[in-house]
Amino acid sequence: MDEDKKLIEKTIKGEKEAFEMIIRKYQQPILNYIGRMVGERELAIDFTQDVFIRTYSSLHLYQPQYKFSTWLFKIASNFMIDYWRKKKIETFSLDQPPKWDSSNPPLQIPENKSSTIKKLEISQLREKIERALEKIPAPLREVFLWRHINEFSYEEIAEIKNLPVGTIKNRVFQAKEMIRSLLEEKE
Amino acid sequence: MKCLSIEQIYLYIEKELSEAENKKIEEHLTTCPKCQRALEERNLLLQAAESLPLWQPPPDFTQQVMAKIFPTRVPISAWIKAISAGFASIILALFIFLLASGQNLSGLLISFNQTLWNFIKNFALLFVKIFKLATLLIKVIQQFFGFLINGFTSLTAIISPQVQIIIIAISIIVILTLIYGIKRKLFIGERT
Repeated sequence: MDEDKKLIEKTIKGEKEAFEMIIRKYQQPILNYIGRMVGERELAIDFTQDVFIRTYSSLHLYQPQYKFSTWLFKIASNFMIDYWRKKKIETFSLDQPPKWDSSNPPLQIPENKSSTIKKLEISQLREKIERALEKIPAPLREVFLWRHINEFSYEEIAEIKNLPVGTIKNRVFQAKEMIRSLLEEKE
Repeated sequence: MKCLSIEQIYLYIEKELSEAENKKIEEHLTTCPKCQRALEERNLLLQAAESLPLWQPPPDFTQQVMAKIFPTRVPISAWIKAISAGFASIILALFIFLLASGQNLSGLLISFNQTLWNFIKNFALLFVKIFKLATLLIKVIQQFFGFLINGFTSLTAIISPQVQIIIIAISIIVILTLIYGIKRKLFIGERT
């Protein structure tokens, strides 16, 4: 049994310290996800706290056959969906494809196009990526963050979102190319 | 092999392809500067993305969450400690007062006892008086209502129903006029 599952078992048995260890382990990954989703530090801290509270109150629903980290991020993702719904921001819909789904990036490398990315310093590039992240649709930003900031595998992201791995790979690809094209735009 | 797709480039960078696919791509890259450029560019993008600065939670974050999940209740032992400390402070203050004023403890205790006894005695007397007064008031009200009910019963026995209706109507008119008059007087009083 992995470390997380042991800690969950101990928490359910009433050992508060075990849940404290869970918070210490996951506070930064969750804050980094939520922080870049909402863009405001104070709000992100409040939401991260709420995610842990929600997690604690639903521990009895946790099924040990799933990885705890993916289950935790599923709770965080549902929390963000609730937030987007309240703010009336475009969210996932299983019935209707989202608007950005129809605007797929080119699949082939364009001919002789000079890129500005290589001309930028790494710090400038990071700054531009942060700004571009704010501009891309929230559902794409979410999967991009999980893949490249939280370092989840495509399979884990598919488990979090309950979607096929192919769909997730395509969304992460779209996110990356959308960011890349935003980096190419002149300010 | 024809040129790589952008998606293939990303999957190659992320080591998501099989060994055979990787080998084919590597062979193609040695001969295609266009795909090489595209690979370098995407590699740079991912390197920068994966090294973005991390958001740091506040140092007391864990404690804050734990306090929300498990709100601390003041245990009984803490209450006992606080009360004991209060008593100890009073005794200490009394001791300091005695030392400073030069009075002896027995004299002070006697005078304190006398004051306390006088207070209890006076309070008990006042309580008895209030109780007697309240009992008397209840009796008077009880008698008044008894008299009213008796009078009304005997009146209804003597007077015919038509006259009763007239009397009730007149009474209502008189009461309403009185209420109106009082209200008006009050309003006039307010205005002036």
